[in-house]
Amino acid sequence: MSRLIIEAVERVLQENSRAALATIIRAPESMGAKILITEEGARIGTLNDDALDEAVARYAPAFLASRAETKTISVEELSLEMEPERNALLMFERIEAEPRLVICGAGHVGAHLARLARMLGFRTTLIDDRADFVTRERFPDTGIELVAARTWTEALQREVGRNVYVAVVTRGHNEDEECLRAVLAAGPRYVGMIGSKRRTNIVLERLREQGASPEVLKEVRAPIGLDIGAVSPEEVALAILSEIVAERRGGTGAPLSAWRRSRRERR
Amino acid sequence: MATIAQAELYRLINEAVERGERVVVASVADTRGSTPQRRGAKMLFFENGDVAGTVGGGCIEAEVWAEAREALRTGTPALHKFSLTADEASEEGMVCGGTMEIFIDVWKPENSFQF
Repeated sequence: MSRLIIEAVERVLQENSRAALATIIRAPESMGAKILITEEGARIGTLNDDALDEAVARYAPAFLASRAETKTISVEELSLEMEPERNALLMFERIEAEPRLVICGAGHVGAHLARLARMLGFRTTLIDDRADFVTRERFPDTGIELVAARTWTEALQREVGRNVYVAVVTRGHNEDEECLRAVLAAGPRYVGMIGSKRRTNIVLERLREQGASPEVLKEVRAPIGLDIGAVSPEEVALAILSEIVAERRGGTGAPLSAWRRSRRERR
Repeated sequence: MATIAQAELYRLINEAVERGERVVVASVADTRGSTPQRRGAKMLFFENGDVAGTVGGGCIEAEVWAEAREALRTGTPALHKFSLTADEASEEGMVCGGTMEIFIDVWKPENSFQF
């Protein structure tokens, strides 16, 4: 049983898929029993109760669609048809690989962004078309995947997929444009591009002229990052990651204390 | 101790189980009020005394350790509620003051008699 679940979990993580793992955490019997429901609906393991397995499988898609990583739910909440006297409690856990951040450009901002992203648990890929910018000497942390690109388009084809965030921070606007064109075709969860309002407008306008859809272009975070008044490359990297974390977790980016001041104003 | 990536977590569990050992996985199942860790945070306890991950600082760690050791010995999983009233927390100089429900699970090696 353990081995079946472990192997299935590892497969889900390797395949960049998602699954819900349900465990009985309070019940008169079958404590610790587990069932994994994959995104495709496959069931691995059992809670030793067919009706309960069925109810869990029905609930799993809604759990996966939420942002929650872990949630406890009682059997009564899960299904009205179940016998309430069981009084069992289940823990649902999201099985999903950490999000990937793909960084185009290993200059000052890109380099700090890569290190900071690692600290926050992102699988991190750093791409540059200058091979001497993406060496292990500069980035000894082997958790940062380094890609020396022959062309940006080719390098990005391999990288972009589901649960991927992309930061376009290359050295120039022609490079930014090439990256953005390649990235947009793949539809990442988030894409942002560095630059002033004016310069990012020029790049976006050129892409529009080349036939990119205005709806897609509107979703590009350009200029990239939250407004924290960042000045140094380290601070810019922080502003970018703040935006990415807010996107991932559903935050607003506003100060948590804002309510104090707005309440005072209302009086 | 830092958050463990899921791939790393299951690799560690798998290795222990493959060695024929039990491994205890403590998971924050639910939190109420001010607590030092999020739901889903995990800590592993191995038979050789090694640990990995964290379910949150000093506030409750000693109690979780004790329950985890017990679970390693008995092989029985259980849901535990740890509460930290504001008084207790401030006496100990800690920042938390909520309650945490921690599920202490035991992953066991495959039973060689089962097919």
